[in-house]
Amino acid sequence: MTTNVGRSVPRVDGYEKVTGAHVYGVDIQIAGMLHGAVVRSPHAHARIVSIDTAAAAQAPGVEVIVTGRDFPFLFGGACQDQPYLAIDRVRYIGEPVVAIAARTEAEAQEAVDLVTVEYEELPAVFDMMEALDENAPLVHPDMDTYVKGGHVIVPHTNINTLWTFQCGDVEAGFAEADHIFEHEFSAHAISPAALEPHVSVAKYDPVTGGYTLWLPTDRPFQMRGELTSSLGVTSDKVRIIVTGVGGSFGGKNTLISETISVALARHSGGRPVRVEFTREEDLVASTTRVPAVMRLKTGVTNDGMLTARTAEIVWDSGAYTANTPGVAIRGSSTIVGPYRVPNVSIESRQVYTNRAITGSYRGYGTTQVTWACESQMDIMAAELGIDPVSFRLRNAYEEGDPYINEQIMHGVGLHESLKRSAEEIGWGEVDRAPAPHLRRGKGIATMIKPTATPTSSNAVIKVEHDGRVTVLVAAPEIGAGQSTVLAQMAADSIGVPLDSIVIPGTDTAFTPFNGPVASSRTTYHVGNAIMLAGAEVREKILRAAGEIMELEPVSLDLMDGVIYHDGERITTVADMLGSFGFLDGYSITAEARYSPKGSPLLKAPGPYEWMSSIFWMFATHAVEVEVDIETGQVRVVKVAAAQDVGRAIHPLGCEQQIEGGVMMGISNGLFEQYKGSGGKIANSSFADYKLATMPDLPEIVPIIVESEHSEAPYGAKGVGEPGAAPTAAAIANALYDAVGIRLMDTPLTAESIREAIEALAEEQASEAGRSQ
Amino acid sequence: MLELEFTVNGSPRKIESEARLTLLEILRETFMLTGAKEACGVGECGNCMVLIDGVATPSCLVLAGDAGGTAIETIEGLASDGELDPVQRAFVDAGAFQCGFCTPGMVMTAKAFLRDNPDPEPEAVKQALSGVLCRCGTYSRIMRAIDQLTGRGI
Repeated sequence: MTTNVGRSVPRVDGYEKVTGAHVYGVDIQIAGMLHGAVVRSPHAHARIVSIDTAAAAQAPGVEVIVTGRDFPFLFGGACQDQPYLAIDRVRYIGEPVVAIAARTEAEAQEAVDLVTVEYEELPAVFDMMEALDENAPLVHPDMDTYVKGGHVIVPHTNINTLWTFQCGDVEAGFAEADHIFEHEFSAHAISPAALEPHVSVAKYDPVTGGYTLWLPTDRPFQMRGELTSSLGVTSDKVRIIVTGVGGSFGGKNTLISETISVALARHSGGRPVRVEFTREEDLVASTTRVPAVMRLKTGVTNDGMLTARTAEIVWDSGAYTANTPGVAIRGSSTIVGPYRVPNVSIESRQVYTNRAITGSYRGYGTTQVTWACESQMDIMAAELGIDPVSFRLRNAYEEGDPYINEQIMHGVGLHESLKRSAEEIGWGEVDRAPAPHLRRGKGIATMIKPTATPTSSNAVIKVEHDGRVTVLVAAPEIGAGQSTVLAQMAADSIGVPLDSIVIPGTDTAFTPFNGPVASSRTTYHVGNAIMLAGAEVREKILRAAGEIMELEPVSLDLMDGVIYHDGERITTVADMLGSFGFLDGYSITAEARYSPKGSPLLKAPGPYEWMSSIFWMFATHAVEVEVDIETGQVRVVKVAAAQDVGRAIHPLGCEQQIEGGVMMGISNGLFEQYKGSGGKIANSSFADYKLATMPDLPEIVPIIVESEHSEAPYGAKGVGEPGAAPTAAAIANALYDAVGIRLMDTPLTAESIREAIEALAEEQASEAGRSQ
Repeated sequence: MLELEFTVNGSPRKIESEARLTLLEILRETFMLTGAKEACGVGECGNCMVLIDGVATPSCLVLAGDAGGTAIETIEGLASDGELDPVQRAFVDAGAFQCGFCTPGMVMTAKAFLRDNPDPEPEAVKQALSGVLCRCGTYSRIMRAIDQLTGRGI
């Protein structure tokens, strides 16, 4: 019975969010708490000669000063290459060098200015292509000594991740092609820019040697793992209590402010230490999207069938790898797009540079590769004289097609997403020039994304004496509505009212393990775990009712918290369990683990089965834009955004994700851009790093596409990650439609658009001149 | 130290404050009214919007001394006895929040605007709310919430 699933019930976090009562990381205040601040490197690459903290130590309110030598640990999700505080060497501008804790934030900041650090500058490298040069300065000469995961590195170079993929025979594929297209695209760095800045409170217990942290994150167990493995302590020595999360978008899933608060807490004699980044620190010294240069060579027949693709991708991880190897691997694999391409060769190299650290960002690499893939699709369509929608449909995956690793695709709503978004935008009809200086055009782009596979989730469900149901899952609500959809699934799988479900926040001391709230995996994975545990709880309730009331469990039913016998209401869960009182008591519990490992859906012959995804996500954006040909300014008029979500557990929540993704895609594609040179970021405020605002809002039509998936909980896949990926390419394709320009690099700034329009006009004028 | 008197959500308050503190710091740290958020600290994000004598103002830009003698309204004062203000109700019904971090600033800005403009054009709403950043990109749903409200003549 689904009484809640499939309905846009009021979000369970609604009341506390609109009343300002929701407690975020920035709201945590603990008695005796000190405040941390950071001395940061002014150099992109330098040796630390000396550090003088004597004056800072005498400053008012200062309690603790810590340097890298005092807390000499290395951390990193994929590779332990990053010091908590710089040890002997700095590798980017903004790298933490000295941490100071004082009684107030202002006192800590004032003490920062009193620290003197002497540096000896070293040759630096800022360009990812130059970092590949064999004579380039090495950012990490000792790369091969680091503790790391299974990804391939190339020691004594700057290449911290090397990944290659082959299927079919690309040479044969190019031989079959009637046309071969080669293009190079680039995608730029973007700040996750969650409005809640990076923040954490850490407390060290000198007796047990354990740390307790209060922080906003979407990856509590992975963050705990990064802390325990880097500090060499057991899991009980790091307890993470997750606060409300004021946005993550991939940014709050690795250690950022936490390294500072932990290092300070270790030396504060047990006093808690709070570290909150300023917006400037958040923009220049947290993480950004991984910039990429992508070279594509694609073969296609006259009738528009793709025959082969090679892709050479270079990614810039910045000074440390954080969790970017996965971007350089998983992200690269989707540069083929959601298309049947029988012959593929991919080479992905990620390099260190002396730039700000990069990391995961909504889409985990797909926003970058989709830009390249979908821009080239339109270039090819134009050359071939084929309609861009038709060209995509000819090659787009359908149910049962083999993926590039030969996994049989299941739950594929791609065609419908293409058709419905094109229909909604009014494909093929444009009011080309609504004013003399304005031109309009329409464009489309689509994308494919896997979810991290295999990853597992656990759920523990407790039914209390009064019928309240506690669901313990480590699935922090990051804004995407996780807590509501999980409560809906818990209520329906047990047969109790939605308002009886309580999902406490995550505390790694008590909540069972979960993979990250990332990769759009939560609804599917945690949902499956909840359904398994929920079914067991339901069965136990009915069995208990049978025993207590001496009835056959098979004659009993449970709906909305009421127990029925042969269709007649006999009691409620609350009355039945409540009758035991507080001394004897009666609590019902169940636990379950879900992992897709071993699912037949993941089968793929050959060496690449690990690339199989337990579900695939597809999102298409069809856009109409209006460009001012004098200024180059673009206004997005309308976006029809269609996304295959499997089945919508909470339709309004899906629409929020789709619409929010569109806004983020517009913001990323048109406005956001870091400026500066020599590794120095010059725009470190929201006045200069522009995010989309309310007036940039176009008409957005969210289209929920539903596809069947045999192992999904109530049929649900994921929805959040793909939402921002197709937008930039769809806008660029619409610009081509509007004014005939083709941009190869993001962002699509007014300046670059105006220059392209002028260059095209000059080209056309000189052609006209020649032909006369 | 400054001696300050003002009303916060209708209650008269008298405090001593360091001159350099901002109204946002006083609200959050002295009064524990943590609904207003600091996302930039320099008046560029609107997440700390409160109403000062009815005018939506970024509280991070107001020095404590300048708030003396004013009437301050924060998100915490909007609902009464658990009953949401119509603006809050509309935000819940329309799904006009995701992570919720900007929501207090957005709600307070909308509240002040709608008091003065009960029947605004959509473009005027967009301009009025343009100073509040929402990274979740929930702008479309916020517009729907306002549409619901203006239909009710708030």
